[in-house]
Amino acid sequence: MLINAENLSLTLDGSSILHSVQLHLESNQIYGLLGPNGAGKSTTIAVILGLYDLSQGTLELFGRPANHQAVETRRRIGVMPEHAGFYDWMSAGDYLAWYAGLYGGSQRPIPELLEQVGLNGLGDCKIVRFSHGMRQRLGIARALVNNPKLLILDEPTNGLDPRGRREIHDLLLSLAREQGMGILLCTHLLDDVDRLCDRIGIIHQGRTTLEGSLVELLGRHGTGCKFRLRLETNPETANLPDGIEATLLSRDGGWWHLHLDAHANPADLWQKLLARGWRIREIHAEGGGIEEVYLRMTSTAGQPLREAMT
Amino acid sequence: MNPIRLLAGKERLALLQNQRGLAWLLAYSIVLSALAVLLVSNNELSLLDNAQVVYMMAGTISVAGAVLAVILGSDAFAGERERGTLVPLLVAPITPTQLLAGKAVGVLTAWTVMYVLALPYLWAVGVGGQNLVQAIIYLGLFGTPVVLGFGYLAMSLSARTGSVMTSLLFSLIVLLFSASPLLIGPGLRNNVIGRGLDAVNPLSGALNTYDAVIIDSEPFTRQLPRLALVVVWLGLTFAAARWTARKPRFR
Repeated sequence: MLINAENLSLTLDGSSILHSVQLHLESNQIYGLLGPNGAGKSTTIAVILGLYDLSQGTLELFGRPANHQAVETRRRIGVMPEHAGFYDWMSAGDYLAWYAGLYGGSQRPIPELLEQVGLNGLGDCKIVRFSHGMRQRLGIARALVNNPKLLILDEPTNGLDPRGRREIHDLLLSLAREQGMGILLCTHLLDDVDRLCDRIGIIHQGRTTLEGSLVELLGRHGTGCKFRLRLETNPETANLPDGIEATLLSRDGGWWHLHLDAHANPADLWQKLLARGWRIREIHAEGGGIEEVYLRMTSTAGQPLREAMT
Repeated sequence: MNPIRLLAGKERLALLQNQRGLAWLLAYSIVLSALAVLLVSNNELSLLDNAQVVYMMAGTISVAGAVLAVILGSDAFAGERERGTLVPLLVAPITPTQLLAGKAVGVLTAWTVMYVLALPYLWAVGVGGQNLVQAIIYLGLFGTPVVLGFGYLAMSLSARTGSVMTSLLFSLIVLLFSASPLLIGPGLRNNVIGRGLDAVNPLSGALNTYDAVIIDSEPFTRQLPRLALVVVWLGLTFAAARWTARKPRFR
């Protein structure tokens, strides 16, 4: 296991910042760490990175206590902090080469690394000229400079345009699936989580309120998803075909409003509808799913639910 | 490559390629030029003994070095934090001591540049007089630990407070306090309080040594207590910086 965190607690200046945080991440997995502003996500990452001394709990990285050979452990971790700063007077290529030197040299040619994050040909460009999105990409390149086994990214898609976000999504998926990296992703963007993550952990008020496999958690805690469909041609019937695991909520002009059970797979539904001659022109997700689970688990009115699933 | 060399190289480039660093060196050169011109051409100052002129120049160089060390030291951790570049350093596979050493080499580099830059000025005001070579040697021997000590003090405050301004303010207050026995004249320095301050004040230690060696031509052996003072100062400030650099304020 890359990260095995049990009951992490942190007290700073007499204030309890984290209490009972759980986090379990293995290779090939992408883990979404979710929570409202100030919930303790970035602090949890700081504890994992050894920037704060743990008050209580156990933390293992790569199967060993985190404080054991901490410098050597850091060689296997790539980090993109939330506020990624650089030496603006350096060029992107020089900066990455310099930073790679701290790890004993880059595992890959710098131009290849820049190309991987969509900054190809910009190695000689001074960082001071980079836009926010380009800095985000450079921050990801910096995190990859040591070809890490564990990648920790704090809000990596902030400030990226939709195409940029999609490119970073594809990159992270390929790093996890093809190179076996474990990725800890701290984000506010539930769309990122929905698309990328195998596991999630929700932190609220310094405590893990939910942790586990995304599919299992949605099945257990979600009440399903709502979708709005527009078909190319309206069918003769006013109801959904038989054998479809969805409920028709209403019809509104050319739109069909459906509710899909938590355990059902939307892709299967679209295939079944297509097989019955329902040609779908547009699909819109309308709440439910991860968003609903997140809102429930971070509600201050509700009793937080502690659960750890493997 | 050794991380200390990498960090020191970055500090050197930041100083010498950065406009602020070059502006500082330019300002320093202007101050030295103005002082040299005053010392050799002003009606009253030019009456000073040649050795006294060299002593004044050596003192000015040491204080200017300490000021630059305070500026660089204050920026060492807090400046990195404010620019968002501290966390990438802290998560890299380097120890706090290596990080501190890299920063300290940066301060030493700046001091070396200042020292080399000062040599022609010292020569200009001291050529033909007594103890010019001794002045150059003792400036290196006593000035270096004093300057580096102020750098470590500022680094310690920088890591602890996470604020460049706070670190700069406190370090400059300490520097001004250290210089105060010299500023308030010999009257106070000759009483018990003044002698006590001189005994523990590293800047006084360095300047009194310049006085003793350059003007009074005292031998090295009589400077050993003052050398011990500046070495202890360096050791204490290094220990403080090393302690705070273990867990610097990064958010």
